[in-house]
Formats: sequence, C-alpha cells, structure tokens
Amino acid sequence: MTMNDDYLWDPKSTPDPDIVRLEQMLGRLRSTASAPPIAANGERRTPNAGRRYLGVRFLGPALATAAAVMLMVGLTWKNIAPAPTSAGSSPGKASWEVATIIGTPRIGSNVLMGEGRIAVGQTLTTDAGSRAKMEVSDIGQVTVDELTRVRLVETRDGRHRLALERGTLHAAIAAPPGQFIVSTPSATATDLGCVYSLHVNDDGSGLLSVEAGWVAFEERGRESFVPAGASSRTDRIRGPGTPRFDDTEQAFRDALEDVDSAVDPVRRSASLRFVLTHARARDAMTLWHLIPRVAGPDRSAVVDALADRVPMPPAIRRDAVLRLDTAALDQWWDALGLDEANWWRKWKRPLM
Amino acid sequence: MEHVLEFGRVLPAGDPVTITDGAAALGATIRAVAAGDQDAFARLYADYARLVHAILLGRIPRRDVDDLVQEVFLTVFRRISELRDPAAFGGWIATIARNRATDHLRQMREQVELPADLAGGDPIETEAFAVLEIVRGLPEAYRDTLLMRLVEGMSGNEIAERSGLTPASVRVNLHRGMKLLREKLGLETTVGVELAPPRNGPTKVGPYER
Repeated sequence: MTMNDDYLWDPKSTPDPDIVRLEQMLGRLRSTASAPPIAANGERRTPNAGRRYLGVRFLGPALATAAAVMLMVGLTWKNIAPAPTSAGSSPGKASWEVATIIGTPRIGSNVLMGEGRIAVGQTLTTDAGSRAKMEVSDIGQVTVDELTRVRLVETRDGRHRLALERGTLHAAIAAPPGQFIVSTPSATATDLGCVYSLHVNDDGSGLLSVEAGWVAFEERGRESFVPAGASSRTDRIRGPGTPRFDDTEQAFRDALEDVDSAVDPVRRSASLRFVLTHARARDAMTLWHLIPRVAGPDRSAVVDALADRVPMPPAIRRDAVLRLDTAALDQWWDALGLDEANWWRKWKRPLM
Repeated sequence: MEHVLEFGRVLPAGDPVTITDGAAALGATIRAVAAGDQDAFARLYADYARLVHAILLGRIPRRDVDDLVQEVFLTVFRRISELRDPAAFGGWIATIARNRATDHLRQMREQVELPADLAGGDPIETEAFAVLEIVRGLPEAYRDTLLMRLVEGMSGNEIAERSGLTPASVRVNLHRGMKLLREKLGLETTVGVELAPPRNGPTKVGPYER
C-alpha cells in the first residue's frame, strides 16, 4: 500500500483509505467546547442561575406553525438592519428545562427522573429505551431520540448551541435566523427559523432533513443551504453534501451521493451525468450547490444544466459563474425563486 | 461579529477559512482582545481552539481536555497584552497549552491515581482511544501535527499557519509521523520518496519557528 501524502497534506485531495479510517476513528475525539465566558476582569464568568426562567413550556407540534410564522417574520426582518435588541431578547439563561418522554435519560451520570435541567457543559444521554425533550430557552424545543448523546455548549440571549455527538434530535425553533446552532462531528447546522431533524452516525457522518424554513449546514468553508422538504448528508471528510429535495427518485439521490463522495473518477463522472440529465426544474437548487463542488468541464456541464432549468440572468456572465464569483452566483440563486441570497448573508452578522 | 465565509464558496485546498488570515488581521484581532473585545476573543478561539485541543489531547486524559482548552484561552485573555509580535501568537499559545498540560499532569500525580481514558464500552471509541495512546507515544512534533490533522481535521496549510511552523516542517512531521504510526499499527507502507533531506527525529521540536 502506498501512502498518499497529498491526502495527508490536503484533506480535499484523493482520499487514502487508511488515513480516512484513522480520521473517522480519531475524529470522534474532536472538541466541541465553546469559548469560555469571560468577565471584564478576565475571570471566567459564572452562569446567572438565579434569574427567573421565562421560557415557554413544551409547545409540541404547534411550534412547527410558530416556526413557519417566524419564517415570515424573518422574510420581513431580512429587509431591515439588525437592531441592538431583537426578538428573543429575554434574560440570559445558563440551563434549559429537560423532561423525560420515556425511559431513563441521563444528564451526566444522573438519571433524569421526570423533569430537570441541563446546564452548559452537561451531556444528555439516552439509551435504546429512552427519549427526552429540552426547551431551547424560550425560543423552541428539541426532542432527543433513543441512543443519542448531546451536550449543551452555550445558551445566552440570541445564541444557543448544542453539540450532537451521536443519535438523532428534532428541533422546532421560533426565533430569528442564526440563534440556534447544532454542532456535529462533520458539520454545523445553523437554524434560519425552522423545524428540522438531525442525525449523527457513530462514524460522525450525518443527515439533516428540513421540514419548515431553512437550515444552513457548514463545515470548513463548505456550505449548504437546505430548504423545507430537502435533506443534506454530511461526513467528516467532505463536510456537508449537496442538498436535494426529499421527493427526488432514489436513483437521483444515489447518483448525487456518488458525486459528493465517490473516489473513482469514472463512477463520479457517470453519476454527475445522471444527475444533470435527470434533474427536474425544482432540482435547480441542487444544481446551484453543485457548481462550486465540481471543477473544469464538469463545472461547465453543471452550469449548462442549471441554465436549462433556470435561465442565467442577463446581468451575469458565464465566466464569472465558472470562476465562482460570489455576486454572480448570488444573482443566479435569486433567480431560482427560493429566496434572496442576500438574506443569508445577514444571519452571519451580529444580532446584538 | 461572526466569521463570514463567502456564500456558497468551496475554498480551494489548503485555503484558510477564517477572516483572521494574515498577520495584519491577526494583529488587529489580538489588539482588540487586549482591549477586552469579547467578539475578537471568540474569533481567536474559533481559529486556535483546534490547535490547543490537539496539543492537550496528546498529553492529558481526554476527560480533562475541554476544561483545559478553556483555561488556556482564559490565560491568553489575561496575558495577551504581553505578546509583542502578533506573528508569534501561534507559538505562544502552543507553549501555554504545553505548559498547562505539564502542570496538570504534575497536579494529577500529586493528588490521587486517576483512571486512564475510558471509552464507555463503545467499540469504535475503544479503538479510537487505543490509537490515541499509540499517537501519544510518538515524538512530540509528530504527535501534535498528526492530532491536528487526524483529530481536528486541519489541513497541512492550516497547521502551518496556526502553529507558526513552516509548511515544509509540517509536511515532514505529518509524513514521518504517519509512517511511524502505520508501522506501530501494523499497516504496510511503501514509501519511495523522502520529503526532505534525511534527518533523525522530527523537525523543529520545541520553540516554534517564525
């Protein structure tokens, strides 16, 4: 076996199977801790546990509707500059309410009996017979399925973060975009006002499925914007895969997965041709995401296929798209009729 | 302010992904942290936490690593005004991490005998800890760069930029470290090309270059 030094140096080059296996194994030890909260005197800031908890009780399925409403709010909100204070600006909280749905979930080493609280830094673990639900401060709810391990990393006004180490969670968030974030070993999901499910396998790979709103899926510079009714796979090596709508044919999904992950260039090329041939008009979202993920003649073919479904706006030049000019890509995205790319840029700006 | 990645852009191989690239930007971030800017501190954390985590993971039990990562950054926040050359930040924070790990191990010995890393019965996790133990037995420079690559997912360019090592040193350390690791794991290797003039041991152990 020849050692592939290119891959050792650059994880985006042709994978070396031994190194990939080591990455998948050792990547489980990666940190998901967040920056320590610091007081003005340079000391670690302690959580303000004494504040009265104002969060809503578990809202159940109604949150899906609320999230949709918040999405509408977000569409209006996108046209105004972020204000110093925004929706959800309730007092900071250092813990969330947690309740057992079934079985015996654990918080750290303690069994959760009925209801309790999970503090920043603590881990909620469910076994094969347990499920639990958590209130995300006062902005939503997370349901934790069986065989899941999830840690509360951060919770403060306008910023709430979980680390999903393995298993499945379902989030229903009614808040402006960017307030609720879930880290996984292979990608970070940022809520843009939505309802979604996120699953992480033991090897760190995962699947994001969005039911309402949008989720941004990002890792090391590769981003996917996943709309309602769509899903995106992720793995440790490549990060977020190309998103696709859930109503696509299985063969289309398989081919897209090959495009994202196949090592064999012949197979990858054949799969790309299948995707470009079988993409529906609705799959323009997928084709747009593919543009920066392929290179050379493949990129030209993707641009042609996208232009067949959604004509390239007259104001942009083909060569600008081919060299991944952000403005050109954004303008073409805007023509897809999903939402304006400009909105997504704003969720990364500070809210407060 | 959050990190702003260009929308929809897949960065080319080895292209750093954060806005604190370049000495000027790093210098500005460091000055802002010294002035108490928490957003700048969060940025610094995002850029360097993986480097610190890898260094600590190679030295102390995993259960203590996340806490010590935070302690290292608390030290950075308190002492960053002492740093005169922003370009030396990578080596400086790496030294803080190594010193903190040494202190921690000394405290552990002075207290009670603690169990080694526990994998919790998960076979993949058990395997991961076994491999981690082997990596921990490698020379320091190989160990740190391999953990940055294999655990933290950093590219060679990122490791060089963050650690202050030259890209050539990182490449050699990765190559030789992986070769050693393969041997210890019993994986067959056929390596025909040396990446640098033959030397014994890792390049640049100890004080970082630049």
